Amino acid sequence: MKPPSEDHDLIRWLDGEMNATEHAAFETRLKTDPALANEAQVLRALSVGIRSHLPADMTVPHADFFNSQIQVRIGQLEIDNERAQATAAPGDLLRWLRQPWLTAAGAVALAVLGLVLLRPIAETSANSFILSSYTPKIGVQAHAFHDEAADATVLMLDGLDAIPADRKVSGIHVKHSETEPQLAATTLYDVAGGRLLMISRDATGLPLIWSNSPRG
Amino acid sequence: MKFLLTSITLLSLCVTLRAQETPAVKPATDGRVWGALIFATNDAAQLTGGREQPPPNLPKLNERLGKVFPFKHFEILGQHQQDIFREFESWVVPSQDLFLKIDSKGPADQGGVNLHLQVWREQQVLVKSDAVLRAGSPLFIGGPAWKSGRLIFVLSLDRK
Repeated sequence: MKPPSEDHDLIRWLDGEMNATEHAAFETRLKTDPALANEAQVLRALSVGIRSHLPADMTVPHADFFNSQIQVRIGQLEIDNERAQATAAPGDLLRWLRQPWLTAAGAVALAVLGLVLLRPIAETSANSFILSSYTPKIGVQAHAFHDEAADATVLMLDGLDAIPADRKVSGIHVKHSETEPQLAATTLYDVAGGRLLMISRDATGLPLIWSNSPRG
Repeated sequence: MKFLLTSITLLSLCVTLRAQETPAVKPATDGRVWGALIFATNDAAQLTGGREQPPPNLPKLNERLGKVFPFKHFEILGQHQQDIFREFESWVVPSQDLFLKIDSKGPADQGGVNLHLQVWREQQVLVKSDAVLRAGSPLFIGGPAWKSGRLIFVLSLDRK
């Protein structure tokens, strides 16, 4: 019977988490244990296949992603164990669980589960969510998540240049606006009906703003 | 070339201003949003003294912002309520420093509206994003640092 620690070592070996000493020791064991070597070969082939179909970078969709993934994985293992107990004699259970095809099926199920969990945040809930985001400037990164405590969806932009502290950043309070659709020009008005500014785009798509008040 | 394009745009806008003197048919919309530029800081001395409040359908906004951003004080610098035009772009401009362009992609399957968002900082687009915005579930966009705090853009869909 294979101790659980060996399975753990196999996963760590596959994920490249071993240090040099551990890696060398495990490679030695692979040479002396044909069953383990066969299992490792199957899992490694499966892992390469799955990785080739996944994007190089996938953002974590929300803060509790890893916790929820672990909970789902635990639940799945419990279901697998119940099914195994119901269909196999106790003495055959471990041998059955060690079948390479079962390991492969579990890995595929995990990959599918991962893709499901990596979909945008809670499409079926009442929350807003981000489908995709793109930051044109190199060094700027955007990541989205849903914060349950704030009951809000967050699009965090990191790596932006700070606005100089001596720069005056001011706002306006727009009561209503009027738009000329054909020219895509919008005029904004304050509560007293005064014109605050007009915004449009130039032929290259850059915004053009005409304001009554000078900027800081 | 850029001067020519700008001149043409200015000329067009002059025509627009004159045309606005006559009533126009209101374009179709897919909803209405409230957008605000918020300054978050731990230093109360840096606040500008604004007293603007968020709309009633966005309760406890400061408290909610505090769950996400590690600051004590949140001040609305500017705010803008804007229709989301179905066939034309919509601008949400609570400030000339940070503003938003919205293109509607129609109603979402289970409520809300599909949007293409562009966050602009003057003439530089910071992020382009496709999102589903739903009423009661605001979008917090963490923007650039300013002073010892941070600028945050909040976008919220009004309930119909």
